[in-house]
Amino acid sequence: MNEVKENMAYKPQYGPGTSNVAANRRKQMDPNQKLEKMRDVTDEDIVLILGHRAPGAAYPTAHPPLAEQQEPDCPIRKIVTPTEGAKAGDRVRYIQFADSMFFAPCQPYQRTYTECYRFRGIDPGTLSGRQIVECRERDLEKYSKELIETELLDPARTGIRGATVHGHSLRLAENGMMFDMLQRSVLGEDGIVRYVKNQIGEPLDRAVAVGKPLDEKWLKAHTTIFHSLGGTAYRDDKEYVEYVQRIHTLRTKYGFLPKEA
Amino acid sequence: MTEAIYPQVRIVSARFLRPDTVEQLLNRLVRIGGILRMSLTGQNLPATVPYGPARGKPNPHPDRKVIRVGDQDVQLQVQVGTVILELEDESYIPAIEEAVDEVFADKDFSCTVQKGRFMKTTPTVSDYAKYGPDADREILGLVDPRKKGGPVIIQGNK
Repeated sequence: MNEVKENMAYKPQYGPGTSNVAANRRKQMDPNQKLEKMRDVTDEDIVLILGHRAPGAAYPTAHPPLAEQQEPDCPIRKIVTPTEGAKAGDRVRYIQFADSMFFAPCQPYQRTYTECYRFRGIDPGTLSGRQIVECRERDLEKYSKELIETELLDPARTGIRGATVHGHSLRLAENGMMFDMLQRSVLGEDGIVRYVKNQIGEPLDRAVAVGKPLDEKWLKAHTTIFHSLGGTAYRDDKEYVEYVQRIHTLRTKYGFLPKEA
Repeated sequence: MTEAIYPQVRIVSARFLRPDTVEQLLNRLVRIGGILRMSLTGQNLPATVPYGPARGKPNPHPDRKVIRVGDQDVQLQVQVGTVILELEDESYIPAIEEAVDEVFADKDFSCTVQKGRFMKTTPTVSDYAKYGPDADREILGLVDPRKKGGPVIIQGNK
């Protein structure tokens, strides 16, 4: 886990904005703030949802462990401590999320920022409707656990989807679940959401429970998505708009060597 | 394709519908009568996984169901979000609005009935290029005319 160094020349602000949404964004990004734990999912469950290896199987490797191989004389390798996965020579694997526009607790850009501040040795990919993060397999399992167990995930409005992610911008289903063509997660009669398929859509041997969907009130209070219908409108957060306009102006004028007044 | 004289309505719900709600709604609409054509639209629910590492594997989906409308079985292939109707004349519209209100009365989301033109009236150049001159004009613009299995015909209203 990363932590902001005490002796840094400046204090990171993480993001602009005076609204609740902006505050939520900052909270998720700030590695010194602990994310609220919402549910318990076992390590084996995580391995099942990810679908990269059988639970209990050894981690397949892409190269011999670093301790067993000759490393070139490289100054960067001396500075950077390898992660556990890199040390063991694990394969690079992924987890991908789709977040509904209906007040999901996180969203692709936010996920990437959050992960970059909180995790090491990752390669996030941000798209409009989905966000993928790649890293060494055993690191991935550790990070996935945090991404799934904490307030970054809502069982109904967030989908763990390796492929066929379509659904983030669609209407919700009657029971409040985000549309999923492969129906990886199902809302049971008892109100608990269970994954019945892994992230690429292969049926699981047993269903993996990820808890009850969070209620509308909680979602609206914890969302990191501006939404003019029913939520906080982006243009109501003057500070946020001002900041984005400033960045936009500066990068447009960049070729003319701008100087701020 | 359709003759421009027939009025059309579109039933749009704020949420995607469960198969049993669709069944309930359609049966209520069929009882009103006066419907010439009906199209259920929404997100496709494929029978096999369309892409990704699991491509081609079966895709069991609880909402891909056969529902019974009137005297016919209808295989749902989409998660129904919108129902488009073509009517004999405008006098059926108030009854349709009433039926929709009745079906959605106990739901916690709304559903609206819109009047307008929702089906194609003339084939486009792209339609001609894709389907040729002999495409079935009755279903062109609603579904792919090359699709096997024609429309479901529900009789017994007259």
